[in-house]
Amino acid sequence: MKPLKRTAKRDRRYEMVNVRPGYLMIELENHTLARRCYFVAERTPPLEEYREGNQFWKPQQAAQTFQFDVRDTQTGAVVPFGELAGLLYYACCAKDSTVYQMGDLAHDQRVSLYVAITTEGEEGHAPMPLEKVRVLNTLFNERLTSPGKKVLILPDLFGLHRKITYEQIAVDFGLTSME
Amino acid sequence: MKIKELAERLELKAATKVFDRDVTGVYISDMVSDVIANARAGDLLVTVQAHANVIAAANLVDTCAIVITQGKALADDVVKMAEKAEITVFTTALNRWQMATKLYEAGIR
Repeated sequence: MKPLKRTAKRDRRYEMVNVRPGYLMIELENHTLARRCYFVAERTPPLEEYREGNQFWKPQQAAQTFQFDVRDTQTGAVVPFGELAGLLYYACCAKDSTVYQMGDLAHDQRVSLYVAITTEGEEGHAPMPLEKVRVLNTLFNERLTSPGKKVLILPDLFGLHRKITYEQIAVDFGLTSME
Repeated sequence: MKIKELAERLELKAATKVFDRDVTGVYISDMVSDVIANARAGDLLVTVQAHANVIAAANLVDTCAIVITQGKALADDVVKMAEKAEITVFTTALNRWQMATKLYEAGIR
């Protein structure tokens, strides 16, 4: 029997490099109930409560995921994506949300809408810069083979990081092993 | 090989409409992040996970179809999401290892 002809890596502009397995940690501050998330490239998630100044942070959830960088195959430049918490598919949002309605319209044109949800840096939450989102869009669209199919990744201009539950984004809550 | 032919050979049960495409490989994983990082367009995704984020990952990677193993059923909203994304989802009572064996026997190698 003939072996299958796998999808060839055509001349792609970008490739995923430095893939780092780890955990997306969701924490809650005891007094203010502020929430934050960050990525740790550890074998096991840090689950201990800790103090930071006057604040007491308690881990709420840990999701297995990975982080990666993107290499430009033409220039060799590597773009880091350490702030990417995960991609949120429009159809995983509430039907009356702006993102769902935009995604629903886009799907009619064979465009699948995702939102890049970022972790919080030291200066708070910021959407991913447009130049980096452009790189992500090229990376994922170069992988597609279905005729006419497109993926459109948007920065989180909707403040979704405040509204969503992190189970909505494409990471793995409730799993314990990468094997 | 086309999805429909493979489904007939392996006696897979369609949980959605069938959108026929070429099967160009197989990826077996229960982690959506792993699927996003490592599966390729045209792969048949074999997994025990039946939640919405599996559809989100399969759609992002452009897998040709999904096989949900161990008899797990899909929620109605997940079926609708898959059909809208034109992703065929099959179910089987087999586990992933048994499914992998059947796929090999069917010439997927």
